[in-house]
Amino acid sequence: MSQPILNLLNLNKSFGAVKATSDLSLTVMPGEIHALIGPNGAGKTTLIQQIYGAQKQDSGQISLNGSEITALSVPDRVKAGIGRSFQISNVLMDFTVMENGIIAEQARLGQSFRFLRPAFSDRQLIRGGKAILERVGLEKRAEQRVGDLAHGERRMLELALALATSPSLLLLDEPMAGAGPEDSQRMADIIEGLRGTVAILLIEHDMDAVFRLADRLTVMVEGAVIAAGTAAEISANEAVKLAYLGGEE
Amino acid sequence: MSGLSQFLALAGDGIKANRLLWLLIGGFAVFPIFTHFADLPFWNDVAMRIMLLGMAAMGLNLVLGYGGMVSFGHAAFIGIGAYCVGIGEFYGLTNGWAHILLGMIVCGLMGLIIGYLALRTSGIYFIMITLAFAQMLFFLFVSLEQFGGDDGMSIDRAEFGLIDLYDPLRLYFLIWVALALVGLGLMFIVRSRFGVTLRAIKSNESRIEAMGLEPLRFKITGYVISAVICGLAGVLFANWQEYVSPDIMHWTRSGELMIIIILGGLGTLAGPLLGAIVFLLLEESLPMLLGAVAPAYAENWMILFGPLLIMVVLFGRGGLVGLIATRNQSTSNQKRGKAGQ
Repeated sequence: MSQPILNLLNLNKSFGAVKATSDLSLTVMPGEIHALIGPNGAGKTTLIQQIYGAQKQDSGQISLNGSEITALSVPDRVKAGIGRSFQISNVLMDFTVMENGIIAEQARLGQSFRFLRPAFSDRQLIRGGKAILERVGLEKRAEQRVGDLAHGERRMLELALALATSPSLLLLDEPMAGAGPEDSQRMADIIEGLRGTVAILLIEHDMDAVFRLADRLTVMVEGAVIAAGTAAEISANEAVKLAYLGGEE
Repeated sequence: MSGLSQFLALAGDGIKANRLLWLLIGGFAVFPIFTHFADLPFWNDVAMRIMLLGMAAMGLNLVLGYGGMVSFGHAAFIGIGAYCVGIGEFYGLTNGWAHILLGMIVCGLMGLIIGYLALRTSGIYFIMITLAFAQMLFFLFVSLEQFGGDDGMSIDRAEFGLIDLYDPLRLYFLIWVALALVGLGLMFIVRSRFGVTLRAIKSNESRIEAMGLEPLRFKITGYVISAVICGLAGVLFANWQEYVSPDIMHWTRSGELMIIIILGGLGTLAGPLLGAIVFLLLEESLPMLLGAVAPAYAENWMILFGPLLIMVVLFGRGGLVGLIATRNQSTSNQKRGKAGQ
């Protein structure tokens, strides 16, 4: 068996008396889509935050591609291969779609610290920026200001920016939240198309999408894993049914 | 050779894209001809003051307008630049080029230290820390009796090789060249990869982190560049004023710079210079105007200036430059007038 992309070992995190992450271990294998589900407040986003480096765990280890990243800052983890979309669209709102692509492209090339040539008219950057947008089919909206985009398109753009760094692990925090059925379908198609090229850890409340997309699922309740397995195993699991699927929601 | 022609082509594009800025800078170049024939040499003095404050405001605008860092202590860098002349002369350093070099280096180092410490915070804390550093420096110079303390020290205009600054026109054009170079440099920086990254950090810092970039590096670099520009303005300011005292870095001047930027247009190249022109012209004319109507209140001209500033901020989001831009747009293209800005 090949080495996991992401390996979480005995992760703990508390906010005062609330245990947000409780002795949690989890692996994400290369190329798989791994869904993280659980009721609201289960600690899914907090877990993503710790993997991403925006919040520090109290104890435990995080390894990416076999090397420990526990001490790295967010930008360093991104350089090590983590891409991320956020629960609330996190794009550059004051710029056009193309300018978002260009800024991502120059960051990818490590050229952001140059002072002379204008960035937005640079042919090489425009070409690269366009390629970034094409991965999610947004190249036709290139001249649009992001503030004028529909919600679903903003989510696509965010996914494109997350993919721009060629990550080996993609953290997607509710990519379909708030999107209409059409946009959700498009997003699911795009994520489906990524299967095998990048490992994905997916938080999503749309269970149809989760069961369609996920190779494996991990179910979290109150910061702890209560079950893990394939879609079939999870839907047959009594504990999960009780706690989540058939339960309160 | 091809490098130079490429540079000129880039500069040409930039100048075309920033007509207003270069119109203003060009205006300052020909202004002395006007004052000569109109026999109003006093106005050369006003123009120099405008150029100096405009230059400093352009420097501050890089962090305030483009980087979204509300620094409330940039007058300190003007002061450091000015004291580099005063203290330099005190120790026998009379060469003006050396003053400029010294002022820019010292301001760059101070910008690095203050930026490194202050940029760990944001929002109101950043504003307060930059103000605190500026106040610290203010009181440091107040307490330095050796250099005049509270009363300041008078300065001989420095030696700039063949350029005799006691010829008022030479000083005028030295300041003008500095202004044009600052305008040119900022024009390149703002449009460059670094510049758009700085603007993107203002827009959304966490997305820049998610692209694998460390925002602090960009913010500190921007802060240092703006400090160096204010230092240059300070060196020239001291030569213009022939005098330096802690007053030059009083916190109200930091506020003045911010007012100039907001009045002219935050995050625009021409805004700070246009703001400096309007601000200082109002400062000259409002007391006269008020004096004609109600002589007893002439010195309270701020009573008129305040509401004016509020009106510009309320009705012209984007300052005076924003007002001009929306006007141009709505006359040329009525449909886009509302969406644009």
